[in-house]
Amino acid sequence: MKKTILISLFALFLFSCGNSGKQASSVAEDPQEKVAITVDELYNNVADLEDQEVVIKGTVTHVCKEGGARCFLMGSTEDKLIRVEAGEKIGAFNQEQMGSELEIVGVLKMVKTEAQAHNPGKEHGDGQMEDAETSEAHKVIANAQEASEVEYFIEGMKVKEL
Amino acid sequence: MKIRKLLRILHRDLGYYIVAMTVIYAVSGIYLNHRRDFNPDYKIFVTDFSVNQPLTVNTSKEKIKDIVESVDENVVFKKHYVNNEGLIKIFIENGEAIINPVTGKGTLQYLQKRPIIFGMNKMHRANLGTLWKWISDLMAVILIFVAVSGLFLLKGKRGFNRWGWWLTIAGIIVPLIFAILFV
Repeated sequence: MKKTILISLFALFLFSCGNSGKQASSVAEDPQEKVAITVDELYNNVADLEDQEVVIKGTVTHVCKEGGARCFLMGSTEDKLIRVEAGEKIGAFNQEQMGSELEIVGVLKMVKTEAQAHNPGKEHGDGQMEDAETSEAHKVIANAQEASEVEYFIEGMKVKEL
Repeated sequence: MKIRKLLRILHRDLGYYIVAMTVIYAVSGIYLNHRRDFNPDYKIFVTDFSVNQPLTVNTSKEKIKDIVESVDENVVFKKHYVNNEGLIKIFIENGEAIINPVTGKGTLQYLQKRPIIFGMNKMHRANLGTLWKWISDLMAVILIFVAVSGLFLLKGKRGFNRWGWWLTIAGIIVPLIFAILFV
């Protein structure tokens, strides 16, 4: 029994060592603090900031009811909203954070809403012959992808309540 | 040491070790199974109310605060704004309220964490960071070991070779039927 406890404590120690090392390195990689921008400012420079680390602040208007996996930050109006995914690093948002001012550090990502729903490469094997009907379907999908709406969201890494 | 004796010792000690974790995952699992029937994390209290004084979209913060805090003694005002539909949306501690300034009718939604269960659900969803993810993985491996080692503990007619085999098959058949029919 003592051995089992000792082994468990040792395993816990190993995990905690690994984790603290990782946290320390992430701090070391970020020597200068970025200035937080508002949701409005983010959308003004959205093309330049894509796939970059951003620090954004705003009011939480919605927190996902199923486990708080994501929240929405609002800018000056209800039309200026950005989705923030909690991801593994933040874990989850709480319903108590509704209406609070949050500062989020994360990476700005872009998705095309229709493009993700239809991926021809995934649906058909490489060796399959493409008949006229399939070819037409692919054209329709390609057109839909071009016309699809672009949506931005943030992959959250750190959160701070202001 | 014979393998069966070693299995018995490990099964017993690791079994004690993962009792708490098993209960956490089982209890929260029941709540999360019913997430479409009710909110597994919060009790939600909804109160309809009406405001007997004129309101506009420019009504002051102080007045909105007084109105919403008079609905329930637990309500603590945070902030408000007017949404695109012209309704006054108010954030309170642990909830929100919405008032139609034209009709004066409002709805308040107050959330209360389910004690203990809230934390259990958070652990079950592995929402506690990277360290917890690996710890719960380790616990899952131990649970698999305890389950499988349990098959080989007893000898004789109640052992795995006779009685245990049939019960194990019965336990496999139930999920297998659902997998064949619905997956």
